[in-house]
Amino acid sequence: MAEKDLRAIIEQVLMEMNLADNLGSAPKAEPASTEEKCADEGFQGVTSKVEEGELPDITQIDIRKQYLVENPEHRDEYAELKMAAPCRLGIGKAGARYKTLPQLEFRAAHSAAQDAVFNDVDHEFVEKMGLFTVQTQCDSKDTYLTRPDLGRKLSDEAVETIKAKCKKNPTVQIYVADGLSSASVAANIGDLLPAIMQGLKSYNIDVGTPFFVKYGRVGVMDQISEVLGATVTCTLIGERPGLITAESMSAYIAYKATVGMPEARRTVVSNIHRAGTIPAEAGAHIAEIIKIMLDKKASGTDLKL
Amino acid sequence: MHEVILSVGIDIGTSTTQLIFSRLTIENRASSYTVPRISIVDKEVVYRSQIYFTPLKSATEIDAEAVKKIVRDEYQMAGMTPADLKTGAVIITGETARKQNANDVLEALSDLAGDFVVATAGPDLESVLSARGAGTDAMSKEERMAIANIDIGGGTSNIALYERGTLRGTSCLDIGGRLIKVQNGKITYIFHKIQELANKHGISVNIGDRADPEQLMKVCRLMADQLAQALHLAPQDGGHAGLYTNDGKPLPDTPAVQAVTYSGGVADCVYQSDETDLFRYGDIGVLLGRAIRENAALNQIKRFQAVETIRATVVGAGTHATDVSGSTIRYDRRQLPLKNVPVLKVSQEDEASLETLKSSIRDQLPLYQPEGVMEQVAIAFTGENRTSFAEVQDLAAAIIDSTKEVIESRYPLIVVVENDIGKVLGNALNVMLRNQKDVICIDSIHASSGDYIDIGEPVAGGQVLPVVIKTLIFNS
Repeated sequence: MAEKDLRAIIEQVLMEMNLADNLGSAPKAEPASTEEKCADEGFQGVTSKVEEGELPDITQIDIRKQYLVENPEHRDEYAELKMAAPCRLGIGKAGARYKTLPQLEFRAAHSAAQDAVFNDVDHEFVEKMGLFTVQTQCDSKDTYLTRPDLGRKLSDEAVETIKAKCKKNPTVQIYVADGLSSASVAANIGDLLPAIMQGLKSYNIDVGTPFFVKYGRVGVMDQISEVLGATVTCTLIGERPGLITAESMSAYIAYKATVGMPEARRTVVSNIHRAGTIPAEAGAHIAEIIKIMLDKKASGTDLKL
Repeated sequence: MHEVILSVGIDIGTSTTQLIFSRLTIENRASSYTVPRISIVDKEVVYRSQIYFTPLKSATEIDAEAVKKIVRDEYQMAGMTPADLKTGAVIITGETARKQNANDVLEALSDLAGDFVVATAGPDLESVLSARGAGTDAMSKEERMAIANIDIGGGTSNIALYERGTLRGTSCLDIGGRLIKVQNGKITYIFHKIQELANKHGISVNIGDRADPEQLMKVCRLMADQLAQALHLAPQDGGHAGLYTNDGKPLPDTPAVQAVTYSGGVADCVYQSDETDLFRYGDIGVLLGRAIRENAALNQIKRFQAVETIRATVVGAGTHATDVSGSTIRYDRRQLPLKNVPVLKVSQEDEASLETLKSSIRDQLPLYQPEGVMEQVAIAFTGENRTSFAEVQDLAAAIIDSTKEVIESRYPLIVVVENDIGKVLGNALNVMLRNQKDVICIDSIHASSGDYIDIGEPVAGGQVLPVVIKTLIFNS
């Protein structure tokens, strides 16, 4: 391209940018014209005069079915691929950027993830599940997030409570922890916990008294196992949320867990949520893993499943 | 985790009998920290038998003892023993797909075909197996097209239509290479429907006539026309409906067929023109192949080469009949394997409420109690929208409530569900029955009313069960 042409293009771009700047500052000077301008830009019908109606809930959109590429060459094939996994693919673009809708969905998913981490599990829900609550040595969410070591230790009061309330030396001790997703506890425990209990019952395996640990990390299971003398300890804990789901739960299960044991001694079943392994079926599967663990007296990498 | 199981496929057709052995590789495709997802990841044919003419006692009666000899000899040549085989299927097809034949063959092969293998038949299943053996399902996925496979055997043409890997319909016509037989230059046999077809178009062919290639070619052109009509490539004429086997149904008219593959004995005569001796097979196969190759309506769409031709059905039977159940299931090992268990299907409509589910089971159960005695039965439904723990409990209670006769019988309670709730449902059933009744509850399996199910011994460390779903529609 000739230098002259290039110069002309640059000049034109600069001119348009100036123009845009002017437009951007215009409303400040003339507030009254904002509404009109919005209408011009494609917001017809959504003026401040509308008082009824509702915004669609963008978190209800199934991203596996969302395909926003304009004039695609292979729409059906892409759609089929998308059904395989919930990924943010084929969502089109506006210039070099996201379109508005995917951008909002992304932020909504991010908010849900943050909520899952920062909110507490509803106390009523815990009680409804027939669980009592104990706390680790963390006194707040902030401590919990910044001091992982404290999230692996029960408070003295908690130790006393579980000693008093729980069955001693159970074959299996199950407890629920908030971990990094309170949303996960609310979404899954109602199906997951009874399914594990029922599965163990069908194998005639004795289960201890389940409870809830607030501000609990995976490692606290080792102390619980020692305090209660459980043969197998199983924690149902909220996973660190992602942008696909904030409700995923994991089960960490260990045979004769002890404080300071290698991490490799834990067996994990992850991705438990309604779009992953459904909680009821996962519960039945976990019950069988526990049975195998008791039969083979091993867990984690020592146990071939 | 990686396990190889051996499977046998035996196809006893109207004209030929064949056998193959194949290796099915089973693998857990999920990562080690999630619930297993075990599936068949590879299928490989490791031995193909010779192609035998089916030994017959009469036109419709199989000589089971002679079949047994063929099978025994082929086992020996392949170096296989029944104990090596985990799964497989015997498919009795076409004109010989009669109940008496199936029983005779089953009896004759019972000690040879391994613990799992059972005699089965039915035109729908044959259509599917031959198309899968021909590779049409994979091709339709690869080519992103709707492709029909026509498996043209001696007595029937089995059609299966796949669109992008998904089965869209099956159909079966009485069009085949041996529906007119020729010996020493004379016509010795004409199937009555073909005779009628020829008569209707004013073509004179009769038993005892000299086998005139020109005249017989005219009949074959009519037969090829009928196949084009069956694929909706030409308007269906008045006689078309009568050509479906067992008064079966035509293919659905959507999706439109975009390409075709041919398998079965006549397929090689479609793909290659070798017309040195037109009647070298003692029938009209070579002429029919030519008629199909030259048919203008069929040539409107693409013709793809099938992966297997004459062996498509047996390859399908040996490699594609077996499926594996879901990986989270509940079963009682002592009860396995189970063979030929009829399926009691609760329709999706009836499944919507537990009341209709119960009445559907109750209404159908008497069908499985000839002379008032309960026989083995598998209760099948989708289990859709019943995934919470509470819903599964209610479902289990409803099943128990409506299957008293099964629970009181000596047979296990068998439940086959499509949705992935097999294990939790099985646990619920076990607990509600106080572990007093053997329960087999498998998932990720689709079965329809009228199907029969075989459930094999566990594989992959006991996590899954091999399953063969059979559609047994016999010619009466």
